[in-house]
Amino acid sequence: MNASFLAQNPMSRRAFAEQLAKASLGVTLLPHLVPAAETAPAVDPKTLPGFGRAKNVIWLQMIGGMSHIDTFDPKTGDSKGARDAIQTKAGYQLGGYLPTLAKDHSDKMAIIRSMTSKTGVHASGQYLMRTGYEQRGTIKHPVLGAWAQEILGKSSKTLPSSVCVNRGPEHGNGFFSAAFSPLPIHDPEAGLQYSQFAAGQEVMTKRLALLNKVDAGFRSKFQDTNLKAYSDFYDDTLKLLSSEDLNAFKLTDEKSDEREKYGMNKFGQGCMLARRLVERGVRFIEVTQGGWDMHNDVDDGMEENGTIIDTAISALLSDLKSRGLLENTMVVLCSEFGRGPKINSRNGRDHHPKVFSTMLAGGPVKGGTIYGSSDKEGSSVADKQTTIQDFHSTVGHAMGMDVNQIVMSPSNRPFTVGDKGEVIKDVLA
Amino acid sequence: MYKNTGKYASIIPAIQRIYFEELGGHPGIKSRNFIVALPLQPQPPRFESMKTSISGLLLLSLTLSLGAAETPPIASSTPLLAPDGNANFRTWTNTTGKKVEASFRGIESGNIFLQTRDGYVYRLALDTLIPEDQKLAQSLKPEGLGIPKDPGLAQAAAIIDKGVLMGLTKAGQKPNPLASDEQFIRRVYLDLAGRIPTREEALAFINDTSSSKRASVIDTLINDDGFTSRMYNYMSDMLRVTDDAQKSKFFTYQEWLKQQIADNRPWNLVVREMMTADGKLLENGATGYLLRDRGMRLDNLSLTLSTFLGANVACAQCHDHPFADWTQRQFYEMAAFFGASDTYNNRKGGGALGMNLRNLREELGQQAFAQARRLMYANQLKIADGEKNDTTLPDDYKYVKDGKPGDAVAPKLISWTKEDHRLRCYQNVESALKKADDDSHLREVFADWMTSPDNPRFAMTISNRLWKLAFGVGIKEPVTDLDDPNASSNPALIHHLANEMVRLKFDLRAFMRLLCNTQTYQREAVTAELAMGQPFYFPGPILRRMTAEQAWDSCVTLAIGDKVDHFKMKRADTYAQVMNLGSAELSMEVLKEKLDAMQNMRQSSMFGDAPKGKGAKKKGKRAAMMREASATNNEEEDYSKPQMMGGLVLARASELRQPEREDHFLRMFGQSDRQIADSNSEEGSVPQVLMLMNGEAQEVLSSRQAMAVSAAEKQESAQGQVESLYLSFFSRKPTAEELKSIYEDINNGLKPGDLAWVLFNSREFVFVQ
Repeated sequence: MNASFLAQNPMSRRAFAEQLAKASLGVTLLPHLVPAAETAPAVDPKTLPGFGRAKNVIWLQMIGGMSHIDTFDPKTGDSKGARDAIQTKAGYQLGGYLPTLAKDHSDKMAIIRSMTSKTGVHASGQYLMRTGYEQRGTIKHPVLGAWAQEILGKSSKTLPSSVCVNRGPEHGNGFFSAAFSPLPIHDPEAGLQYSQFAAGQEVMTKRLALLNKVDAGFRSKFQDTNLKAYSDFYDDTLKLLSSEDLNAFKLTDEKSDEREKYGMNKFGQGCMLARRLVERGVRFIEVTQGGWDMHNDVDDGMEENGTIIDTAISALLSDLKSRGLLENTMVVLCSEFGRGPKINSRNGRDHHPKVFSTMLAGGPVKGGTIYGSSDKEGSSVADKQTTIQDFHSTVGHAMGMDVNQIVMSPSNRPFTVGDKGEVIKDVLA
Repeated sequence: MYKNTGKYASIIPAIQRIYFEELGGHPGIKSRNFIVALPLQPQPPRFESMKTSISGLLLLSLTLSLGAAETPPIASSTPLLAPDGNANFRTWTNTTGKKVEASFRGIESGNIFLQTRDGYVYRLALDTLIPEDQKLAQSLKPEGLGIPKDPGLAQAAAIIDKGVLMGLTKAGQKPNPLASDEQFIRRVYLDLAGRIPTREEALAFINDTSSSKRASVIDTLINDDGFTSRMYNYMSDMLRVTDDAQKSKFFTYQEWLKQQIADNRPWNLVVREMMTADGKLLENGATGYLLRDRGMRLDNLSLTLSTFLGANVACAQCHDHPFADWTQRQFYEMAAFFGASDTYNNRKGGGALGMNLRNLREELGQQAFAQARRLMYANQLKIADGEKNDTTLPDDYKYVKDGKPGDAVAPKLISWTKEDHRLRCYQNVESALKKADDDSHLREVFADWMTSPDNPRFAMTISNRLWKLAFGVGIKEPVTDLDDPNASSNPALIHHLANEMVRLKFDLRAFMRLLCNTQTYQREAVTAELAMGQPFYFPGPILRRMTAEQAWDSCVTLAIGDKVDHFKMKRADTYAQVMNLGSAELSMEVLKEKLDAMQNMRQSSMFGDAPKGKGAKKKGKRAAMMREASATNNEEEDYSKPQMMGGLVLARASELRQPEREDHFLRMFGQSDRQIADSNSEEGSVPQVLMLMNGEAQEVLSSRQAMAVSAAEKQESAQGQVESLYLSFFSRKPTAEELKSIYEDINNGLKPGDLAWVLFNSREFVFVQ
């Protein structure tokens, strides 16, 4: 099937949908089918910069709405927060709470200062930021890690292809198989939940042998896909539990001064875990950091959270660079929305989706780039308005996914990586 | 049970067919010693003739509706199968020399049960038959499913079987053999009671020699509390029931819904009430359906249409549907029925004090202020209807052919075919809209149309959903898209089931009872792989993984046996009483009283907010262990508190948090987060398997605390122990081969707890055959 399918085929829309329904109990991939824009020829993504050059992605999601003005889009005048901005070597300024990033990594980062969204509510904003889709009551959308597993396949033989750190697995596989759901690590310090065997090795070996024996008849009787999948999950789990790769989750293997470089907190240790997972072939790791909902005392909050992310991301970028991993690992930072230019009566800032910032580094990202801008107050977009869908499309494209490729959900609705956003070519090389 | 009673009475006189003329009677009339039974049908159940050009279908449906009437009742050489596929017919003769051709269904208390070709089952006194036939009956093995509870039910079930059989035959397939008692009992418990049977329940059934035991167990389970739990879990997923929404607790909605199911209120009335409920959530739980999506009228409507009518309109909310025929304008016209209903009630709820709550921050302090706000939120959740529908086309409306952004939209119904408008439910809406003085009754008008027995999709949608609940897959998938029922695997059957739902007056228990009494339900599960894209014709149910709730409730059953249903979560009354400000003017004094009451309520464990932050889990565990300790000290059984083991609250999923926390067994096993309708997952994942292998549930179930393990340990022989665990986990005894191989391992040092771990982790445990 190609772009002209609908135009050429006299079949009605309903007949077409029915045919799809018959052809798919699961998801269906329709490469390059572009129903809304039959006239525009699909662009070969390989001709655009950066395609497929981010083998791994570390997705840093700031929960609560990170103040863009105090971090990646500093302002002067009334909007300015408590700290002065810092001038970087790359020519742009960063907020005063990010000294190390400003000093050592400005050449690695591209900053988009013209992000905008209509969603000013936390839960649905986070959903949109994670999936690129507006939240609906009728369907769940996948995160980029799940998209990549669908389109590009598994990234590791033993480890899962996606991991999420400091959060549960909701906002994960979306309408794809549950097998694509990210492996949740609730606390990087505690490692992988339930990875301690229920009994000693000897007993466990006997139990597993007996399990195989007892269950063999049932398993061979039914040729059921989900049943087979379960058996595979048991195999995968046992493979993981007996694999060297399981050590990736053991941060205690690292020297304590190495760990301290990242900061001894959940986000810092999460970033270190992300690096260790990238080294072992996990494609997509999300690390979250909460505490950004600074309605009160934004200076206090920024001092705490700013220091946490400044330390952790600096250590992460340095480590990735020195290990030769930054070449093909993209690090992105985002938040469900920004915070307003006006400091409120409680010295806080309130939700502000109208304009905010995101940061990208590594892989094909053109370091030292500032893309788009907000107005003088940091209140609205001044130039090159960028949607969350554009942001998703850019990251997805860098991961090697054609953002025009349509995937039909099991309910037969068409979806694309980044919900028809545009790849921001200017931040990619 | 074989009497003309209750709700069926009114529809009986329509039966006019004469079957037993030679025997001297006809159905419904007690004549001599024959025929006491009455069919349920007002007429032979008909598969509605198709509004389709698909050739063959029409023919098939005709065969079905006429088949029964045209079949000569008396011995005939025509090798026509009975509706359920039963082929073993013989001629029975009574002492007066009259004859009937029927298959033998069993003997009970001096009566013989015979099924004629139309599926109808007759009960006759055995001694009215000639001696040879009496003798024969004593030696014959009963055909099919044994003795049914109700002759009409047997016929209705047989007609469904016939419909399935027609689909199978057309596809060149054969039905599966009947499931064994062991397979059946486990399946029917999971489907109707939502859990596996206990060892004792399984044994009792297996050892029961009565021919009517299958029908009996269905009737027991269908009327049990377990069914309420099971349906509530299903509906909570379908309706996205949550404890927390709109900064408030939705306990009154939950308990209202549970009560509807417990009372077996007809589905059309339940749904109608959800659509039309007025007032405060605290006072009227039924308002919860609309208030769940307060301020999101369009999302709510989209769900209403897909959930209850299988109208696939989600796309049309934002643009004309790309494939189906729904337009965005049609969507807005439907939304207009809710256009006068106000789910925001911002300015009311706390009187002057509510308005000025902000000023109380200083006086109350941060924490009490936050509680005061919760109080206000809870009291603001209310629906009221205004006089004017305010629906307008959206700002980005782009279909110039029929409107522009901001245009007012009048209510108008969607339809699936042009003929639909002739249906009474459409006519009623038209006249109601004409008659109305204002828009304040639009919701009622909509609800009457939607839940009407002649709505083209309402009965069909719920019957297809319940069919899926029993068989694992809908006749039409997904169940939220019935726009074209003829695209289903068996159009005649899906239409027939819709008619049956109407005939049964939307009694969901009666409908499930009917499905479970079919041979199709009681066949072996399909072993072949379901090929992608191939329609499924139901040679039997499919192999299903337990739902999260079935698996959890089964774990609880393994741990505490049939006490599983003892604990009932009751929160609504207390919550409503504490939170409701009533209509009185709110003073500072009343506010402080309320805040104290809220404080007390929060301290009781059932209402406690989930502990948050660092160490919360540990704290929670410690508290749980303390409660556990105090519970075991208490000799008397106290059903007001759930039993605890290993930090787990051992109560039904329906009596726990809605939904559970994300690291709970239920969620890790696929319980929906209740954000998306029908999103329970039956898939595995590595974290899930890690939990099954090493988590809390296996810890409890492989310990002596668990009833299944302690019962096994009471057995003296190793063989007895293995057998006991197999019955507990699989509802069957182990085969000789299994016994032998496990016996070796037991000799090798494995304990009953280890075997419990093994059975818990086996596919046979989590998959229902």
